[in-house]
Amino acid sequence: MKLGRLGIKAYLGIVSLMLAVLIPLIFGFSHYLLTVLILMLVFIIYASAWNLLALSGQGSLGHAAFFGIGGYTSAIIANSLGISPFATILAGGIFAAFIGVLIGLTCVRLREWFLAMVTFGFAVIAHTITTELSWLTGGWDGIPAKKLIPVTIPNYILYEYYLVLLITVIVIAIIYLIMKSKTGLALEAIRENELEAKVMGINVTKYKLMAFAVSAFFTGIAGALEIHHFGYITPEVYGIDISFWPIIYCISGGLLTIEGPILGTILITLLDESLKNFGWTYERYIVIGLILILVVRFLPKGFVSIPEKIKSKIRLRRSHS
Amino acid sequence: MIQILVWGIYAGCIYILLAIGLNLIFGVMKVVNFAHGELLMLGAYAAFWIYTFSSINPYLIIPASMLLIALLGVFIERLGFRPVRGTGKLNEIFLSLGLIYLFQNLVAFLWSTNSRSIRSPYGDVVLSIGSTKLPLDYLIIIIVTIVFLIAFQLFMKKTTTGRAMRATSQNREAAALMGINVERMDMLSFALGSALAAAAGGLWLISGQMADPYMGGIPAIKAFAVIIIGGLGSIPGAIVAGLTLGIAENVVPFFMQALVAVFGYEMSFTGWKDTVAFFILIIVLILRPTGIFGEKGE
Repeated sequence: MKLGRLGIKAYLGIVSLMLAVLIPLIFGFSHYLLTVLILMLVFIIYASAWNLLALSGQGSLGHAAFFGIGGYTSAIIANSLGISPFATILAGGIFAAFIGVLIGLTCVRLREWFLAMVTFGFAVIAHTITTELSWLTGGWDGIPAKKLIPVTIPNYILYEYYLVLLITVIVIAIIYLIMKSKTGLALEAIRENELEAKVMGINVTKYKLMAFAVSAFFTGIAGALEIHHFGYITPEVYGIDISFWPIIYCISGGLLTIEGPILGTILITLLDESLKNFGWTYERYIVIGLILILVVRFLPKGFVSIPEKIKSKIRLRRSHS
Repeated sequence: MIQILVWGIYAGCIYILLAIGLNLIFGVMKVVNFAHGELLMLGAYAAFWIYTFSSINPYLIIPASMLLIALLGVFIERLGFRPVRGTGKLNEIFLSLGLIYLFQNLVAFLWSTNSRSIRSPYGDVVLSIGSTKLPLDYLIIIIVTIVFLIAFQLFMKKTTTGRAMRATSQNREAAALMGINVERMDMLSFALGSALAAAAGGLWLISGQMADPYMGGIPAIKAFAVIIIGGLGSIPGAIVAGLTLGIAENVVPFFMQALVAVFGYEMSFTGWKDTVAFFILIIVLILRPTGIFGEKGE
């Protein structure tokens, strides 16, 4: 039974991946569509990275800090050294991971509320430092960033899409392996009961810091990808909404699962885009806020738990009749 | 120098009003309402609209605005926080995020993102004590905050309801066994906390600050810093930390500027004002993970 369900999940994964590869062929090389899809993929990386940190019981409210740090690092290095964004994206991730460890060091001893507030505050600090160091970061106006694929190449957006898709698949695979490994188990044990995990001989500090580093690394990569897609970066990347998006995606999709952030990002992005095309501005955030509240209230395990919920309902009805 | 102290105390009063409400809600319900800043924002808007339609003295409007937001707080508690209580702390944090999204954009949708302001009837009155200038509005805010604090303390210590609330925050199960309706205490604490946030919003607006849908964010995160520095659930801690923070964030940039000037540089540090709170917060948490006045445990 359990094997069968895993099979279905793997099957669904392969089908959706094939769909992702074929989408440009099915719908044509629409610039708008590919842009939406690229951003969706970037946010899938971002949400999955956030989810990994949440797996260790640490819910961050300031992940935009790592997103922005990754972006700025990559843009600044690429601009000043003149190397291709492919190498600097990695540098962005590594620097974000370094900062992540520093933040993690102050956070490992903190419980949920404190952690949430400190990370929240850290995004504000990152924002201020960035705007104040205007000789390096361009202040409020930001700086230009190189395009991932030069615009001069015909159909560059198509290559960019496949490149980001490839990176996303690799990142998801790595995160999947981490979650299924001993490390993932240790993180879950820490989340469930930190004291018991410690008693069982798990080095809590080490694993928590590791979760911070890995999560910040992939978040930095997502940030770098986004800004190299847009071609510029401003302090707006530290915005509260950038911190909140991965949370919204993870909650609505299904927290602490590998498929939850992916599903959540896809569904919420599609909803957001279609409401945007409706000409809705504030209304669509109201809708998303409401969805978040309703999911927390009625569907705490997210959209991925809907099939199981229906199944158990049917079972209940059968046992009654 | 004393001038800077005056600004600090004035800002500190707003943080204290927010922090006391947060502390009360946390004490009774063990929930941190991250959308507390949005209650401040709604309080300011309520004051603005009542003022626009009635144009009576804005200070007299504040009780009405507090009452409205208290009612809203009861709704939020009933429909939002009560059902998810105890299902995990992360869920409660996420619920607050939903509320932030909802309120900010609802206000932006209904009343646009334009800044709103109220002209205080005492806006031109400035008391001079020596070289220090003390706007009358600041003085009123400081006095009103002190009055609120005394009234709050009397309520908590002397009335039966206040005692029941304190009992609930000390031990929920035992309080329930003693016949205290703990769910009603939840509701009351949320209403009271919301009312204090609305008062802070109204006072903030009258003293010459602008109201817009996103105004709640910065004061709220500073109030969080205040309650962490002061210790979750500690009222004296919140007062000390609120004043310290209000003063520090005005004094520190001033000192930094003077310090850099000694080395012959000219730099303005006013842009760093909002980060002072978090640097203090992080230092305090490294030294004492439960806050200065915090109890061990939670």
